[in-house]
Amino acid sequence: MNLKEHIQRHKNEFDDQEMSFKSDAIFKDRLKTALHQPKKSKVVYLRFISVAASIILVFSVVFWMQTSNDDSGIKELLASLTAESAGERLEGVYKLDEEFVKEDSKIINALLNILHEDTNANVKIATIEALLKFPSNEKVRTNLITALEKETVPLVQIKLIKSLSFLRENRAQKPLEKIINSKQSFPIVKNNAALAINQLNQ
Amino acid sequence: MLYNSCVRILKNREDAEDMVHDAFIKGFQKIHQVSDEINIGAWFRRIAINASLDKLRKEKHTFWAEESKEIEAETEEVEFDKVEEISIDFIKECIHQLKEKYRVILLLYLIENYNHREIAELLQLKDSTVRNQYVRGKNQLVAVLNNNKRNELKRTHTAS
Repeated sequence: MNLKEHIQRHKNEFDDQEMSFKSDAIFKDRLKTALHQPKKSKVVYLRFISVAASIILVFSVVFWMQTSNDDSGIKELLASLTAESAGERLEGVYKLDEEFVKEDSKIINALLNILHEDTNANVKIATIEALLKFPSNEKVRTNLITALEKETVPLVQIKLIKSLSFLRENRAQKPLEKIINSKQSFPIVKNNAALAINQLNQ
Repeated sequence: MLYNSCVRILKNREDAEDMVHDAFIKGFQKIHQVSDEINIGAWFRRIAINASLDKLRKEKHTFWAEESKEIEAETEEVEFDKVEEISIDFIKECIHQLKEKYRVILLLYLIENYNHREIAELLQLKDSTVRNQYVRGKNQLVAVLNNNKRNELKRTHTAS
């Protein structure tokens, strides 16, 4: 018999050690810390995740509803502002007057387009009224001035004069003087322009 | 059995108890991965032995093969005469005195029943390296047995 065979034949004799009596208690403690606590923390963790997920879900639904509402409202409004019928355009401008206080570049551009291009005086007048909602918008102010330079319809001219006077827009003085000096201007328009210059110079 | 395997590798009872606890905790956490064909006892023992080897590697900085040139050289196996005359306790003592790298391979091969390929996987060595280390280790064991044989025989006679 060689050494390997001798050892393997008596292999059982190598297993002569026994674990200490304290070992059981230590193992129980370790089991508690290793298996039970992580389970608990796992549950807490899962709860935290589910609460966070539901909060995110609620917020995203609310945000989505708001944005989708805003978007659909803006689209609807833009559609009516560019409609063929003057009545529909007018309705759009009035709707804006009632509902939209928030500045939106697309809507302002649509209104400025009406201001310069529209053939219907009523629509233009309502648009000028709507544009007065954005008194601090430089684009709106300069466009009102250029509109006054180009405008030939007396009622619209008067509305523009009154609006620029209300906005205390000093840059409107030149077009106002031009209106006063023009032979084509209606007397009532000239009177309003003179009054506006007085107010601006006060 | 599990505990004895760990004590043999680590030469420390407390560390071995820790390893047994670790093995059971790890084992229970992964018990769902075990298929029906696997021998569950052997599976737990493997976890405990792996953990013990890791501990040895980390804490005692044992490297199983550092003298690569020495390992490559083939070694001839030496046998011990009249092996029946020596006690298992004496063999245990002599294994205990061997260098770590030889001691662990001898234990894994002779007592834990791992083959050379399995030991090579466990210790991340080549099969041939394990085979050579085993032969070297066994030769050293034979040398230690021969050196201590007289003392052992004296001890046995005195005792009887």
